[in-house]
Amino acid sequence: MRRLSITAVCVLQAIAGGFHYGFDIIDQTELPSGTVYPALGRLERDGLVKSAWENEADAHADGRPARRYYKLTAPGVKALGEAAAFYRSLLPAGKPRAARG
Amino acid sequence: MVPYDIRRDWLREWRAEFAYTAARAARANRPMPLASLPRALGAIVHAMWLRWDRWRIEMISQDVKHAIRSLRRKPSFTTVVVLTLAIGIGGTTAIFGAVNAVLLRPLPYPQPDQLVRLYKTTLEDADRVGGTVSPPDFVDWRRDNRSFSEIAASITGSLALTGLGAAEQVPAGFVTGGFFDVMGIRPAIGRSIGTADDPMGSRDVVVLSDQIWKRRFGSNPGVAGQQIALDGVSYEVIGVMPEGFQYPLRAELWVPLRFSAREIETQRGAHYIDVLARLKQDVSLDRARGDMRSIAARLAREFPRTNRETSASVHPLRESLVGSVRQSMFVLLGAVGLVLLIVCVNVASLVMVRAIGRGRELAVRVAVGAGRASLVRSLLVESVILAVGGAALGLVLAYWATSAIASMDSSIGVPLINQTRLDYTVIGFAVLVSLMASIVFGTMPAWQASSIGDVVMRIREEGGSTTSDPRRQRLRSLLIVAETTLAVVLLVGAGLLARSFERLLAVDLGFSADAVQTFGVSLPTAKYSTPVQRQQFFDTLLARAAQNPNVESAAAVFGLPLSNFRYGISTSTRDGLTLSDDDQDRLTLQVRLVTPDYFKTMGIAVVTGRGFTPSDSLGRQLVVMLNQTAAARVWPDQDSLGHHLELGTRLGLGGASAGGTVVGLVADVRDFGPASRVAPTIYLPHAQWPDDSMTVVAKARNHDPLSLVQPMRALLQELDADVPMSSVRSMPQVSAIAVSQPRLYLVLIASFAATAMLLAAIGLYGVLAYAVGQRTREIGIRLALGAKRGEVLRMVIAQAGRLAIAGVVLGLGAAVLASRVLRSQLFEIAPTDRLTYAMVGIGLLLVALVASWIPARRASRIDPLAALRHD
Repeated sequence: MRRLSITAVCVLQAIAGGFHYGFDIIDQTELPSGTVYPALGRLERDGLVKSAWENEADAHADGRPARRYYKLTAPGVKALGEAAAFYRSLLPAGKPRAARG
Repeated sequence: MVPYDIRRDWLREWRAEFAYTAARAARANRPMPLASLPRALGAIVHAMWLRWDRWRIEMISQDVKHAIRSLRRKPSFTTVVVLTLAIGIGGTTAIFGAVNAVLLRPLPYPQPDQLVRLYKTTLEDADRVGGTVSPPDFVDWRRDNRSFSEIAASITGSLALTGLGAAEQVPAGFVTGGFFDVMGIRPAIGRSIGTADDPMGSRDVVVLSDQIWKRRFGSNPGVAGQQIALDGVSYEVIGVMPEGFQYPLRAELWVPLRFSAREIETQRGAHYIDVLARLKQDVSLDRARGDMRSIAARLAREFPRTNRETSASVHPLRESLVGSVRQSMFVLLGAVGLVLLIVCVNVASLVMVRAIGRGRELAVRVAVGAGRASLVRSLLVESVILAVGGAALGLVLAYWATSAIASMDSSIGVPLINQTRLDYTVIGFAVLVSLMASIVFGTMPAWQASSIGDVVMRIREEGGSTTSDPRRQRLRSLLIVAETTLAVVLLVGAGLLARSFERLLAVDLGFSADAVQTFGVSLPTAKYSTPVQRQQFFDTLLARAAQNPNVESAAAVFGLPLSNFRYGISTSTRDGLTLSDDDQDRLTLQVRLVTPDYFKTMGIAVVTGRGFTPSDSLGRQLVVMLNQTAAARVWPDQDSLGHHLELGTRLGLGGASAGGTVVGLVADVRDFGPASRVAPTIYLPHAQWPDDSMTVVAKARNHDPLSLVQPMRALLQELDADVPMSSVRSMPQVSAIAVSQPRLYLVLIASFAATAMLLAAIGLYGVLAYAVGQRTREIGIRLALGAKRGEVLRMVIAQAGRLAIAGVVLGLGAAVLASRVLRSQLFEIAPTDRLTYAMVGIGLLLVALVASWIPARRASRIDPLAALRHD
C-alpha cells in the first residue's frame, strides 16, 4: 500500500488522540475543512478509519444535529504507526520532538 | 453533485459542522456568515471530491474496459473515426509546428527581444521594414546613437573555398566587428571577428560555422590557426561558431566587412549594407526609433545631396525576418483549424449514429439504475479513447509532416521554416487540440443520446415506430449544414488561389528558356585580378562550351532573371548632360552584364537595333542595350537608338562611368517574377565590364538541360580546378522556384479544402443513409399506398438538397468575409470573384447529389411488403 500522506497522518493522529468529530479534527490539525473531509473519505475507503452516526436522540437532547464520528480500525492503527515511524526517521537525529496533542 | 446514495450523509455531516461553527461563533461574539464562509467552501470541495472519487473508481473499473471492448466490436467505425481524427489533429499539429518555428519560438539567440534591424527609409514611408544603408551612414549611426549597446553591419555573399578537395562556392556573411556581440553568441572554438579586425589592411581572418567545420574540416578541434583559400586569397581560421548558429540565415562562414577611409568619405549614396543592433537593457523600441529618426534628420540636413528626405526605422529582428509571411502562416493555421472543426463535426455525427444504434443497450442501463451523468460519462470516456487513438496516430502523421516541412528548400522564401520540429510546445498543442476535439465531438452526442426523454422514446421505438426522432435528426442536420458551410469557405479560398496561380503562370515572363541549363561561376579574385584575365576566362569557357554538339548556344549573365538579383544604379548623365538629383533617382536602372549570345540563348527578342557582338570589347566604343521600359523612361518622346547615357558607378573597375551609346532595344523581361512590374533595365557587354562572378546559361539541343551539367562540370574542372560550379539549376527549375511560395500555399489550402469536401460528403451520406434506414417502414407504407418510386427518390434527394443549399448559402456568405485575408496572396483576381463562388457552389451541390444518390436509390427500391415487416 502507498505510504500515507502527512495530511492523512495528521488526521489519523488526531483521531487516535481522541478527536472523533470532523470539526474537532479540523481544529486539532489546523487543516482546512476542504482538506480534512476528503482525507477522511479516502481513509474510510481504504479501511483505515470507520465512521458511525451518533444517536439522534442524544443529539436532540443536546439541542444540536447528530454528528458523524470516526474511529481508527486495526489496519489504521498499524498504518499510522508505520507512517509515523517513517516521518520521524526524517527528522534530524537527536532528541525526538514530542508529538503534539 | 454529491452521488445520490451518500448525499444524505453529506448533508447531515455538514449540518453538524455548521451547527458547531455557529455555536462557536456565538461564543466568540463573531458574526456567523463570516465564520461559516471557509466551512462553506470546505463543503463544496468535499462534494466535488466525493463526485470525482466516485467517477474515478467507476471509470477505471468499468468505463474504460467497457469502452475498449465495445470499440473493438466495431472495427470499421473505430478505424474511420481514428483516421479522421488523425488527419485533423496531425494536420493542425504540423502546421502549428511550422507557425511555432517561424513566428512563435524565440529566435535562437540570447535575449532575442533586444535584437533589432535598422533601415534607411524615406520620409514618405519612414517606418518601412526594409532599406539598406550606406557605410558612411552606418558609421554615423554607430557613433551617435544612445539606444544600442552594440551595432554592426553585414552583407551576404559567397566565396570560393579551394585547396581542400573539390572547389565549392560557400555562402558567406561579411560582418563588421561587433556583429557577434550583437548576436550575443560566443565561438565554440577560438575567437570571433572583433573591432580589431575592422581596419583596412588587417589580417584576413575567417570564422567557420559548425556545419562547414564538420563537413569540410572533419571537426578538427585544432582548426584555429589554419590557412584556407577563399576566392584565391589566404585567410586564417580564427574560430568556429557553436552548432545551430546561423545568421545571415544561410551563411556558413564569416569574414570581416571593411570600409576604406575613401568609402566612408564619398559613398554616402551607396546603399548596400544591412545593419543589426542590440537594444540597451532599459531602452524601449519606441525610444530607439525616436533616437534614430533624429539622427537621420540631422544627417539629412548635413548631407542633402544623398540624404534629403530620408529617415531611419527600427524593427525587431523577428519581424524583419518573417514579416512578409506572417499573415499567410496564420491563414494556413486558420484553414487547417477549419478542417479540424469539420473533423470534429463529422466524428460527432458518427458517434451519434452509433449511440443511437446502441439505444437498447443504453436503455437497459438506464433501466437498471444508471443516471444520466453516468451515461454521459461512459460515452465521454469512449470519445476520449477515440481521441487518444486519433492523437497518437495524428502525432505520427505530424512527425512525418514536420520533417517534410523542415526539409523544404529554403528558396521558397519562408525564413526559419527549416527549424520546424515536433518539440514539447508542439506536442503540448497536439494534446490540447485532441482534448478540445474530444470535448467538442464527445459531449454533444453524449448529451443527446443520454437524455432521459430519449431513452424512454427509444424503448418505445424498439417496439416499432414509423419515423425517426425529429429532434435528433434536426441536430444531425445542423451538423451537416455546419460542415458544408466550413467546406465551402475552404473551397472558395482554394478556388481563388488556384485561379490566381493560373494567372501567375500565364504571365509572359519575356523569355523562353525551357532548354537552358544555368550555373554560377565565380573567379578567385587573386588569381584573376585584371579585367582582361576575367574576360579571357569567360571567352574560353563559352567558346569551349559551344563546341559541345549538344549545346545550341552558350552565354553568361551577371544577374539571372528570377534569381531575385537586384542591382539598381541611378542614371547620372543623359546625352552628356548631368541630370538633377530627382531625375537621377527616378531613372534608376537595373544593371545586367551579358555576353553576345545571351539574348539568343534565353529567347529574349531584340526589338530594334542590334545585339552585342564579340567586337564590343575592351578599348572599343562603349555600348549599351535597354529594355523597352527603360528606353521609354529615359527618352520618353524619341527613339533611344544612338543616344548616350552614363550610370553613377564605375562597376568597381575604375576608369570611366558605366554606360555608353544605345545600340539596341530588347523585349521586357520580368526579372523579379510574374507578379512584379517590369524593371527598367540596362544591359552592358561583359567584355567591356568584365565582372568575375557570372551565371552561365547554355541551351541544350536535345531540350534536356540537365544533360549539360556533367559536360559543363568537366569543362570547368579542365579549365581551372579552383573555380567552383555553384547554383546548378535549369531555367524551368529557376521558374518553378520563383512561384514556389504561391504554389506551396495553393497546394496546402487545396488539400485542406479537398479533405473538407470529402468529409462533408461522407457526413451527408451518413445522415441520409441513417434517415432512410430509420424511415424504411414509413417509406414502405407510402409505396404501398401508391407513391411512385420516383417521388421517393426525389423526396430523399430533396432532403439532401435542403441541407446542402443551406450550407452553400451560409458558406458563400462566410467566404465573402473570410476571403479578405487572402487579398495579399491573390494575383489579378478579386477576393469576391463571382466565377469562383459560382463554381464552388455548383460543385458542392453536385457532390451533395452524388452523396445522396445511393441512399435515395436504396429508399426508392424498398419492397413495401418487407418494409412493413421491418423491426
